[in-house]
Amino acid sequence: MSYLEYNARYVPVGFRKLLYLNWPVIILLTAVSGAGFLMLYSVAGGSATPWMEPQIKRFGLGMALMLTIAMVPIWFWRNMAALAYIVSFLLLIAVEFFGSTGMGAQRWIDLGFMRLQPSELMKVGMVMLLAAYYDWLPLKKASHPFWVLIPLFIIVLPTLLVLSQPDLGTAILLVAGGGAVMFMAGVHWAYFATVIAAVIGTVVAVFESRGTAWQLLQDYQYRRIDTFLDPSNDPLGAGYHITQAKIALGSGGWTGRGFMQGTQSRLNFLPEKHTDFIFTTLAEEFGFIGAFALLSLYALIVLFCVISAINNKDRFASLLTLGVAMTFFLYFAVNMSMVMGLAPVVGVPLPLVSYGGSAMLVLLIAFGLVQSAHVHRPR
Amino acid sequence: MNYAALRRPLRPLARILRARDTGEDPEEIARENLRLRHEQIALKARARAESRLLVMGLAFLCAFCVIGLRMGVIAQTDPEEPRAAATGNPIIGQRADIVDRNGRILATNLDTHALYAQPREMIDPAHAATELVRIFPELDEERLLRDFTGERRFLWIRRQISPEQLQAVHDIGEPGLLFGPREMRLYPNGPIAAHILGGASYGREGVDSAEVIGTAGVERFFDAYLRDPAREGEPLALSIDMTVQAAMEEVLGGGMTLLNAKGAAAVILDVHTGEIMAMASLPDFDPNNRPPVLTEGDQSDSPLFNRALQGVYELGSVFKIFAVGQAVELGLLNANTMIDTRGPLTWGRFRIRDFHDYGAQLSATDVIVKSSNIGTARIALQIGAERQRDFLGRLGFLEPTQVEMIEAPTGAPLLPRQWSEISTMTISYGHGLSASPLHLAAGYASLLNGGTRIVPTLLRQDGPQQGERVVREDVSAVARDMLRAVVTRGTASFAEVPGYEVGGKTGTADKPRPNGGGYYDDKVVATFAGVFPANDPQYVIIVTLDEPVETSGAQPRRTAGWTAVPVAAEMIRRTAPLLGLRPQVELATLDGVVVSAEN
Repeated sequence: MSYLEYNARYVPVGFRKLLYLNWPVIILLTAVSGAGFLMLYSVAGGSATPWMEPQIKRFGLGMALMLTIAMVPIWFWRNMAALAYIVSFLLLIAVEFFGSTGMGAQRWIDLGFMRLQPSELMKVGMVMLLAAYYDWLPLKKASHPFWVLIPLFIIVLPTLLVLSQPDLGTAILLVAGGGAVMFMAGVHWAYFATVIAAVIGTVVAVFESRGTAWQLLQDYQYRRIDTFLDPSNDPLGAGYHITQAKIALGSGGWTGRGFMQGTQSRLNFLPEKHTDFIFTTLAEEFGFIGAFALLSLYALIVLFCVISAINNKDRFASLLTLGVAMTFFLYFAVNMSMVMGLAPVVGVPLPLVSYGGSAMLVLLIAFGLVQSAHVHRPR
Repeated sequence: MNYAALRRPLRPLARILRARDTGEDPEEIARENLRLRHEQIALKARARAESRLLVMGLAFLCAFCVIGLRMGVIAQTDPEEPRAAATGNPIIGQRADIVDRNGRILATNLDTHALYAQPREMIDPAHAATELVRIFPELDEERLLRDFTGERRFLWIRRQISPEQLQAVHDIGEPGLLFGPREMRLYPNGPIAAHILGGASYGREGVDSAEVIGTAGVERFFDAYLRDPAREGEPLALSIDMTVQAAMEEVLGGGMTLLNAKGAAAVILDVHTGEIMAMASLPDFDPNNRPPVLTEGDQSDSPLFNRALQGVYELGSVFKIFAVGQAVELGLLNANTMIDTRGPLTWGRFRIRDFHDYGAQLSATDVIVKSSNIGTARIALQIGAERQRDFLGRLGFLEPTQVEMIEAPTGAPLLPRQWSEISTMTISYGHGLSASPLHLAAGYASLLNGGTRIVPTLLRQDGPQQGERVVREDVSAVARDMLRAVVTRGTASFAEVPGYEVGGKTGTADKPRPNGGGYYDDKVVATFAGVFPANDPQYVIIVTLDEPVETSGAQPRRTAGWTAVPVAAEMIRRTAPLLGLRPQVELATLDGVVVSAEN
């Protein structure tokens, strides 16, 4: 069932489309980004440079992109899905050969005015292609093994490329995001149960094999796991981030130390304080209340997307919206869990708040698609 | 929900026929059915999606709650002050001290600085290079200048510098020369216990700290343990006593010089706990400045070579007590059993001789006292290869010692390829099986401490080892009496130290020529293996001299009685008081005094 088969009674045209945008989402996105600007201002020690100013510029660019995309009918984007995926995939391959290396991993292509991370682009490209695929595929074929194999390849191929960069965080996000789209599309639950059981089995096997002759991982990899399970074991080594983050969160208490009063902004306790670990600054300065408020903003964004998806009769549009919402959810859930020691440190930014160009632009592009789906839904 | 339209044919025959009758268009009916079908497909998809969405929603909710709860938990924990400033460099510099059994420092750390350069920051590279060479004459000025003006952004100049050098470099006033704080390993006692400690060097090096890693000995063996942050720098206590170690090294060094030996080794071992109280090998080195490993020639000529642990030698007659002890244990003889010592003993193409001719027979005690090869070999024949091998195995002679040094596995004994009867005989008097002095110490301790196996250790112990039984207690006592007799009236008479009742056995073994070409006539390994006090053994002492010659007489003398024994005696005289032994008043023997009631 695709959009064209509906008897759309009314589709807004021209600037009237602006009226039909999903305004709550836009407001929430702006609010979250605003919180991000404040934090970047604070960690720079009360200065717009070097982080807040470029971040605001990128937000402006991203917003413009989002609105532009929102104006273009969603069926156009559906026809572009395969192209978006292929372009992202080629860029991912290109980054293997021409990419710059940063922080020990090869992730960027330098475009001159900004650094592009194709792996970010791939998140959107993949969700688009999967949504289009399940829109095209008749429902009764969705659980047929052959028709399950195709989306599996769509997910696994870019994941392998991303893993070789190496970027575990993005790889996890890709797999989980793609898997979520498949789940929402109605693929039989037994497939998911099998995959989850296999993952659990692997984890158990890895732990059981430790110290035996058939040990599956290297010793240093086990040490990393140990550090995750008990960071105080190695407070100055690999557990450093987590320990410091927890200290910062704890020192924030319920109400926080106040804006610009955090130790993170004045002292240099945490590396990457403006990127992956920016949440600690927020939690320290605004306490539990601030952190929970941010979490709630994120949750509301997801909620509004889900509502939009439920009310959308078009399968592509609703799957795309859910996929974007899911990816967004994974972003902040993984980042917060990692900062608070619920998950291993895998290097996932806090969406819209962490300093970084690609992630913000790509997220806003994705929300542009969500908006387009919302505006052009069959009425 | 009933999805009947999904299965209903698009053109049901009955309906079509009826339609034809009434003149309706069948295509219209098909279209209508198709529309219904699509509607129901959409409904079904929607229902499936809704249930999936419920599951997803539940997952969202769980994640939201978990993260929120976690925030609450963390928020209400007591705030802690941040512990350390981030350096962006997670190298841990700290390394625990090593101390002796009484807590005296053997190895510790000293804060020092490394000198490095950032040529991009330099103002006057030429001046800096000139000045640096004045402070560190070993540097090459041209090369420095090349590095300072070239493409390099960073280079190390010195790994550690003294405070005076630091001041001098600071006074150059060059902003591109920088100091990185780090720790260095310091061995305040210099070469004392050098082989045991081994040494340390830098592993990963950073600008703000550097990793100190062990390169040999205990430092390497316990490397991870010493660097374990969980132990919070608690020092590692070794079994050795630094005063005993120092006295031993001094005496051993003097003896080696006096007797023109090319190398020497000594061990003092507690017979009950297995603790190595002191262990030395000469020539030695200063672990603060470890010499490089030899790149050619024989590694055993390097000062780094630990003769006490790695040096496996045919140790000679010191082995005889094992054969006699085992024979007593097996009930084959007692201390007074007469042994046939007529020689030479011919076995196939081998002939076994004694140093002197001891006549037709000797008592078992005298076989030890006079060190008769022939007598021992005959006893070994009665024991047999199988039982001898098993017995030596239980004393630890068949495998490397388990002592806590990284070099321990390299001290593997050399065993005969085939444990034949001739091997049994030669091994009984210490040829055909090569072992290290530490092996010998452990063997003597196990035999003489009452007969239980001990394993030598370098860690301070709290109590005696409860090893498996090797020989009965009475056998152990017989062996002690025999060894005591060797000192009172045998080959080791120089070992008598009044008050300490030394017992022991000498061994003089010809050194084998390299490449299996028989034995040298004029090169020996002289060994004394002793125990003191013999009536209540506390310590075993092993002294081994490599190629000693005693030249005070008309003929050069090489036997252990003239070389290793006096050195060992002096060592006991010096170390016994340090070990806490008091001289015992020895009752005068009443030989020749006849107590009589008559007259």
